[in-house]
Amino acid sequence: MMDDFEKQLQEALSRKEPSPFFEARVLGAVKRQARERRASMRMWWATAVAAVLIVVAVSVWQHQRNEQAREEATGREAKARLELALKITSVKLQKISQKVEGI
Amino acid sequence: MTKTGQEIGEQQRVDNPEPRTFASVLRSHQSMVFSIAYHFLRDRPAAEEVAQDVFLQLHKRFEEFESDAHIAFWLRKVAGHRSIDYVRKRKSQAAVDIDDVPVPSVDGEPEDHFLNRRLRLLIGSLPEKPRMVMILRYQEDMRPEEIASAMDMPVRTVKSHLQRSLAMLREKIDRSMGDVR
Repeated sequence: MMDDFEKQLQEALSRKEPSPFFEARVLGAVKRQARERRASMRMWWATAVAAVLIVVAVSVWQHQRNEQAREEATGREAKARLELALKITSVKLQKISQKVEGI
Repeated sequence: MTKTGQEIGEQQRVDNPEPRTFASVLRSHQSMVFSIAYHFLRDRPAAEEVAQDVFLQLHKRFEEFESDAHIAFWLRKVAGHRSIDYVRKRKSQAAVDIDDVPVPSVDGEPEDHFLNRRLRLLIGSLPEKPRMVMILRYQEDMRPEEIASAMDMPVRTVKSHLQRSLAMLREKIDRSMGDVR
């Protein structure tokens, strides 16, 4: 149960109205906030897409580099094998030549 | 007799025919939020700034609220906390000792009662938490339990703030009325 003093307090603290433009200002700020949020979402997506593209490009480049290195290694190996085969053939031909000359 | 979900839904549609929108909530609660901040800060532009901030925060999570009562409680709670934060951040509102509060002159807003202005000044000179407790109690007619829940403090503390603030205000008012007489 409130006494007179408390009722006086209620009266002193009765609700006041904000300025007449308050509602429009808040609604404007809400629209601005939504626009900023959409812009920041778009920025976030653009950054994410750019990051994914960079990762994909780097992966493709790395893969191509690895492929090239593997092919070069295979080529070098084949060359070494060919050189060895030629060397063996050359030695054999030399021996045969020496035997033919000895007959 | 218990009501079915459909009947309750129908009743709610009858009681509240318009769907709840942010604009309708803003319209119906703006004076409540503004007044909490205004009586606390005693500064109209600052109170509007705080109130706008509260409504922007409400807009961000508007879909989470299920009832008007929930929204009203949340608004009171956030308006209270934001007002206290505002004063703490600004620190420009120098602490006024309750004994230093001047007796207001009789010329002012014509419709504003002399005693009301004096009371608002005295409430404005209370420390932050007791001041907000008094505003929620006498502006919003909240029970101590509701204030405790909104202000995240024990009910005991709320009751103690109320009792002490009331006693102090009564004494100051009696004294100042004596001075005027």
